[in-house]
Amino acid sequence: MPKRLAVLVLAIALAALPLATNDYVQYVLNLILVYGLAAVGFNLVLGYLGQLAFANTAFFGIGAYALGILMEAGLSFWAALLPAGLAGALAGLVVGLPALRLKGYYLAIVTLAFGELMRWGYIHMDAYTHGSSGLGVAAPSLGSLPLDSQAQRYYLILAVAALVVWGVFNLLRSRIGRAWVAIRENESAAASLGYWPARYKVAAFVASGFVTGIAGALFAMLIGRIAPDSFGLNQLLLQFAVVMIGGMSSIWGSILGAALLTATPELLRNFPGAEEIIFSLMLMAVLRFMPRGLAGVLAVRLPMLRERLYRS
Amino acid sequence: MALLELDRVSVSFAGLNALTDVSFGLEAGQIRAVIGPNGAGKSTLFNAVTGYIPVRAGAVRFAGQNVLGMPPHRISALGMRRTFQNGGAFSSMTVLENVLAGLSLQTASSVTGLLFGLPGARAAERRALDRAHELLGLMDITDLADRKTADLSSGQQRIVEITRALAAKADLLLLDEPAVGLTASERDHLVRVLRGLAADGIAVLLVEHTIDLVMSVSDRIAVLNYGQLIADGKPEDIRSHPAVLEAYLGKH
Repeated sequence: MPKRLAVLVLAIALAALPLATNDYVQYVLNLILVYGLAAVGFNLVLGYLGQLAFANTAFFGIGAYALGILMEAGLSFWAALLPAGLAGALAGLVVGLPALRLKGYYLAIVTLAFGELMRWGYIHMDAYTHGSSGLGVAAPSLGSLPLDSQAQRYYLILAVAALVVWGVFNLLRSRIGRAWVAIRENESAAASLGYWPARYKVAAFVASGFVTGIAGALFAMLIGRIAPDSFGLNQLLLQFAVVMIGGMSSIWGSILGAALLTATPELLRNFPGAEEIIFSLMLMAVLRFMPRGLAGVLAVRLPMLRERLYRS
Repeated sequence: MALLELDRVSVSFAGLNALTDVSFGLEAGQIRAVIGPNGAGKSTLFNAVTGYIPVRAGAVRFAGQNVLGMPPHRISALGMRRTFQNGGAFSSMTVLENVLAGLSLQTASSVTGLLFGLPGARAAERRALDRAHELLGLMDITDLADRKTADLSSGQQRIVEITRALAAKADLLLLDEPAVGLTASERDHLVRVLRGLAADGIAVLLVEHTIDLVMSVSDRIAVLNYGQLIADGKPEDIRSHPAVLEAYLGKH
């Protein structure tokens, strides 16, 4: 069982990680997990379903604001987390329905517009969102113990992200994951096998919205204050780059991509003035030498982590 | 009663008649070919019967049920499965995954079961996997199971597509030019497969240009020309039918 062993080793390593970090490094690791989860959500629509939809930042922001608003209304973090994911799922439904009629660049532009519309909403629905000044998100607590250290938040984020990613893996290995890829490859042929394409497409958007909504909620909890500017085009470009650099249709790729794209700018802070240049060169080098992203390399180097429906 | 019944089916595109009053029937276990020159309306007929294009007039009954106006996935669920002229195998999937995609709706479990990997869903997945391996064995492509479909020859891809179409219990199989690009041995394999299907009581409707194959395997042959049925009969009758010779075979 080399795969089980690999998962066990990974689990132990992840659990022991805070022993070897300081607060700042731990914060960066937490951010990696959050962006990794957001990229997994993005990948469901972009990679597996193969639709050029750019509403992921909207799902991310909706999850973040839903958590913040519900917590301000008096709910605990734990009570607000699932509703935040469901708010993302609802946004996925709203985007998924027009996506049945639109394809390619048209879908891209409509979903981009949806994201910007949401940002406008965060600014102007200030009774709930506090507009541009931003919404504070209280630290979660476990009973009477506030989880305010980065290590404590790490375990919280890790547990939630692991649970969600496990669910995603389960979906991908089921008829639902196969239906998504089947529709991407040949929609008519998928229908000829009894799959109702519209239903599975909408399901992909809903699942994507849920996963990314949860990621957004974790982001809000981690940052402690959210503002409309956190969910603009910069955020979208970052998440898109994470999926591309990580590798389309690869869950591990998305997580590794998040690690690379989150950690590198932090490491480069020691080189003020050169960081953007080095960062851009690195991205170009990755795409030049790893055309299938990090997942392509992973598939060759660590075949025991072989993923279903991923093809290098 | 025939398994499939076409009753005066007419299809038109922008006012042009692509099919006019086409009627024929197909019994369980029967192999029927549809032949005709290019543009005669063969693929249009397939697309109309399987729900991909609208029918202007007439009726299509499958197992006694009118299927006109149903979307393709519902017609498929009734047990009518098809393949595609330009190859409908999912190219990034392995052969095994293609076949699994063909039968996973048969072992449908709840979304909750799938999401949390509950025992019922896992057992259903294992049954699907066993059935998929069994099908690969029956079609003699067990050794291809883990190959990526895009890496196979076009003939092998067609066999994969047929296996996938058969995976869920199909009562009627519509094959759109299954012999295109096949080598002689693959073609023999296809003929054996078709005869085996018929022996198991599955009806086959076949659009095919390879006349030898059509003549050797079909129980009945329908001949289309300019969207009209100009002949319908046993292979030996079609071979000597004057209208057919003029419209189609005469050119060879």
